[in-house]
Amino acid sequence: MQADVAVIGSGPAGLVAAIEANRSGANNVLVLEREEELGGILKQCIHNGFGLEQFKKDYTGPEYAERLIQDLGKTGVRCFLNTMVTGVLPDRTITAVNSENGVFQIESKSIVLAMGCRERARGSIGIPGTRPAGVLTAGTAQRLVNIEGYLPGKEVVILGSGDIGLIMARRLTLEGARVNGVYEIMNYPGGLKRNIVQCLNDFNIPLYLSHTVTEIRGRERVEGVVVSKVDEKMQPIGGSEKFIQCDTLLLSVGLIPENELSKGAGVELSRSTNGPVTAETMETSVPGIFSCGNVSTVFDLVDYVAQTGMSAGRNAAGFAAGAWKENGASVEVIPGENVRVVFPQRYCFRDDLILYIRPAKPVERPVTIGVSPVEMYVKRLYARPNEMIRVKVAREKLKKITGPIEVSITER
Amino acid sequence: MDIEKKHFTCVTCPVGCEVDVELQNSSIVSMKGNKCDKVKEFVLQELKEPMRVLTTTVRIEGAKWAMLPVRTDKPIPKRLLLQAIGELAGIDLKAPVHISEMIIRDIAGSGANIVATRTMDLRSEAGRARQRNDASAG
Repeated sequence: MQADVAVIGSGPAGLVAAIEANRSGANNVLVLEREEELGGILKQCIHNGFGLEQFKKDYTGPEYAERLIQDLGKTGVRCFLNTMVTGVLPDRTITAVNSENGVFQIESKSIVLAMGCRERARGSIGIPGTRPAGVLTAGTAQRLVNIEGYLPGKEVVILGSGDIGLIMARRLTLEGARVNGVYEIMNYPGGLKRNIVQCLNDFNIPLYLSHTVTEIRGRERVEGVVVSKVDEKMQPIGGSEKFIQCDTLLLSVGLIPENELSKGAGVELSRSTNGPVTAETMETSVPGIFSCGNVSTVFDLVDYVAQTGMSAGRNAAGFAAGAWKENGASVEVIPGENVRVVFPQRYCFRDDLILYIRPAKPVERPVTIGVSPVEMYVKRLYARPNEMIRVKVAREKLKKITGPIEVSITER
Repeated sequence: MDIEKKHFTCVTCPVGCEVDVELQNSSIVSMKGNKCDKVKEFVLQELKEPMRVLTTTVRIEGAKWAMLPVRTDKPIPKRLLLQAIGELAGIDLKAPVHISEMIIRDIAGSGANIVATRTMDLRSEAGRARQRNDASAG
């Protein structure tokens, strides 16, 4: 099978990339999706707040997905559902499998990686104790409640204050469970401020910062957890332990970009994002292989995911049409003072540079985001690790750059 | 009358502006920290009657999935959220349902309607067979 652009994954990034590749002139665009429906995680994110920037509407996840799926339906892009991609090679050959075609190969002129991310589970954080039923990730609980119609428990403790955990605190409360509290190991919340307000405060659910779960108890089913305060090095403080009776522990302790296929394709991965090292065109280190959305770096907002999908789709269509063959000259984009993550990691002089910046530490005072050496300074009232900062640097400003671009956050 | 100081986090959009507001007779004398004009509207509404969009699910028969996601078509008073959930618990709904289709009119006397947030087709034969297989495997 041949394709101009093959998109792997049909969450928001993949859908937008496929639509945009088609709009940019690619005739033969394919979408490969392992589930039986398009839309990815949007289908279970039934809350609102999607597409405010892109469509100027306050959609829920399923509404946002359906709008994109309708747009995709008008394009003639072919979608393969129930289709698992098992391998991607650097020469842009994809191996996939489904029950209709069996194992088959696609030779594509360009590829967009849009596999999204997965949740960190109990194994990634190492909580001591027994291994009973009732310990699950917030996203798993979200699927059980919102799609399959099961309530995973009645007395719930949530570890981690990521957005999905906060959203699930409200969701489980509305469905009749009691959420005893949200415990966050850091001294600042992981999720968006608005979710603290409308998911926790609205329902009087307490948030305990600088706390973690230090033991899980129960044989067949969770019977309770021990929570402890932690010090500034995130070590549990002896004597601060408290037992909380519950039947369920939800984990909302971070997301990891899903890059098994990227590794097989020889794509260089970044140690700071755990996603591909990407240029502003969303091209990875392998020419013709692009990546976008949460497979690249974990974004807070679907609007940002869509923006990277748009760039990946447009540029993948350009590569497929022969606009360039090899990665041209590029400079590095590197994190400076108080920056934990900066995305993309390379600039190759083709597009405007849209920077996504995650601060390393919270600063509750006015800050300046500096982009050196272009002498660009953007002011913000604060910088917080749970709120990615987006800064656009116009292409014209970057024409004469020779060395690396460094991004920093400093107090004013 | 004295000036009262209050702190709000606007939940209108994901930016979540945190504002310090000075109030006199429930009107805003000054506001600091907002990035757009919608925050003022939000603060005045919070003082009068906090309003929220309710998003939840309802059981649906004959569809691919057990649950249909729904929402209120406009914000409703926060104090009515649990009452609205209660009214949705017993409803009888069958696939197919189209996106934006009204499920319940005037939920909890709020004046807002509950609408479907996705299209839910009838469950196909293949889907039924798969579910039977899943059930017997489990």
